[in-house]
Amino acid sequence: MKDEQLRERRLVYYKDDFDQIEKLLDEFLKLSNARCIFLIDKEGHLITQKGVTQTFNSSTLSALVAGAFAATKEMARILGETEFSVMFHQGKKDHIHLSLVGDRAITATVFDEKTTVGMVNLYAKELTSKLEKIFEIASKRVVQEQPLETGYSDSVRDRLDDMFKD
Amino acid sequence: MQINYAKKEVSCKLVYYGPGMSGKTTNLEVIHQKVPEHSKGEMTSIATEGDRTLFFDFLPLDLGQVRGMTTKFQLYTVPGQVYYSSTRKLVLQGADGVIFVADSQAEKLPENIESLKDLQTNLEEYGLKIDEIPLVIQWNKRDLPSAMVVEELDKKVNWMNASTTTAIAATGEGVLGTLKLAASLILDRLNTKEPGAAATPPRKAVSAPAPAEAPKAADAAKTEETPAPEKKEVYVAKINSDQISRQYFTQYCQIQYRLGARNDDVEDFKKFTPEEKRKLLEMLINHVLLLQDAKKRNIQPSKEEIETQVQDFAKRFKAKAELDGYLSRRKLSLDNLRNEATKNVIIGKIIQQVIPNLGERLKITEGDVRDFYGENAAKFGGKPIENVKNEVIAAIKGARKRALLEEFFGKLRQQAAIQVFNENI
Repeated sequence: MKDEQLRERRLVYYKDDFDQIEKLLDEFLKLSNARCIFLIDKEGHLITQKGVTQTFNSSTLSALVAGAFAATKEMARILGETEFSVMFHQGKKDHIHLSLVGDRAITATVFDEKTTVGMVNLYAKELTSKLEKIFEIASKRVVQEQPLETGYSDSVRDRLDDMFKD
Repeated sequence: MQINYAKKEVSCKLVYYGPGMSGKTTNLEVIHQKVPEHSKGEMTSIATEGDRTLFFDFLPLDLGQVRGMTTKFQLYTVPGQVYYSSTRKLVLQGADGVIFVADSQAEKLPENIESLKDLQTNLEEYGLKIDEIPLVIQWNKRDLPSAMVVEELDKKVNWMNASTTTAIAATGEGVLGTLKLAASLILDRLNTKEPGAAATPPRKAVSAPAPAEAPKAADAAKTEETPAPEKKEVYVAKINSDQISRQYFTQYCQIQYRLGARNDDVEDFKKFTPEEKRKLLEMLINHVLLLQDAKKRNIQPSKEEIETQVQDFAKRFKAKAELDGYLSRRKLSLDNLRNEATKNVIIGKIIQQVIPNLGERLKITEGDVRDFYGENAAKFGGKPIENVKNEVIAAIKGARKRALLEEFFGKLRQQAAIQVFNENI
């Protein structure tokens, strides 16, 4: 059953859901006036990002956000909570607001003095409940797994070999 | 692992595990140095003042486009020191593979073993088994004078029979080889051809949950407990945690065909069009959902209930011999009938629980009869309503029952995770 299990753990995102997700993120940015938003899965992989994100190293940010959430989960456990659903870090100019989406993803919103934490929190709540619905429907839908192209694994191996040629 | 078909991205997570000071961060640093500039992400460390990893080190590797998919490996290390156990577990979440960096020195043997056991425990908390996850053990620090011989280490540490490599991470030797091997093991899992079917045959064949729908399938499952010749199971669908093999589905189709055939003149093996197969699969999915739901509700039809149903069916025949003839001409067995009966009994019981005010919905008033007759008069051959009243009532009952079933299965489907593997049908 091992492969089966791994396959279940695999997170797969399809085009239709994705279009909806991106639309919601755009709407959120407009409403909240935040600078940018990252949608990250709990394992630390970036799902997608919207807004002015060029200056950020998004894969590292994703790993750290997922790590921070995982760490606060332990904190929550000590308090007798299952987990905290919202986190907020305040900087001098830029701030970051993190919010759980269901049990698989996290949104990370970066914002500055153009808006307030209250506004971001308010719209983030709306956003996460909408995203949760999309994830829920997607996870139940009868889908045909689109296989990766045949030979994909071998090509990745070749690429690694090329990359690390001595 | 994340596969994003919308953005055409594949992202894998690989975790370096091992006791404190065994060289996990060094491995990552070597990789960071050797990666060509354009594929290199920043390496991030969350370290204590003593320069020991506190939470994790992180290095993203971007392999660029491979066969149309942007491919990324996310490399993580865990803190080795014993007291960071809970952080180690957090980093392990969602790992697609693990590289265990072992310190080859004889005096570090107990630490290696302890750390591997810690890995095993933490993996189990995520429902993973140490001998099943892609795992490479790297015997590091081969250059140190007290390094044990590899065979000895293998015997004492590698009880799960993982792949191994040797390395001197401080000079970079063996680091890339280990990474490539681990990546390779992870990629072997990306079985692209037969989704739903495992790359290697699953250890225990999972057959559909129907208790005896196809007695042959049940027998097959029994014999599989004794070591059977390895055969590749192909699955047509997965309903929650139950998989339906193609073999089982084929049998189901044949039985349904023989049960429903208009006359006894049945073909030995009926061929179905893809459309018909889809319909039959939908029926089977409903059936499996029904049985799963019954199990959840702890509904178990008694033998008597099933036999009563079968007897009701048998009443259609004047004598036992006629029933036997019917069955043998259709190549059916009494067990096939019992399965259908089981299904009907369960449906009867569940629907009473699930559908609110069932009694009211099944009540047929004089008005209903008149309305239905008015709408479908042609169906009753223009005969006056008084003469066909019973037929009208039967028709209304049939229609209501169909609507109830549709509603019921609709509800079940809403709560279920159903996957169909079209290419295997």
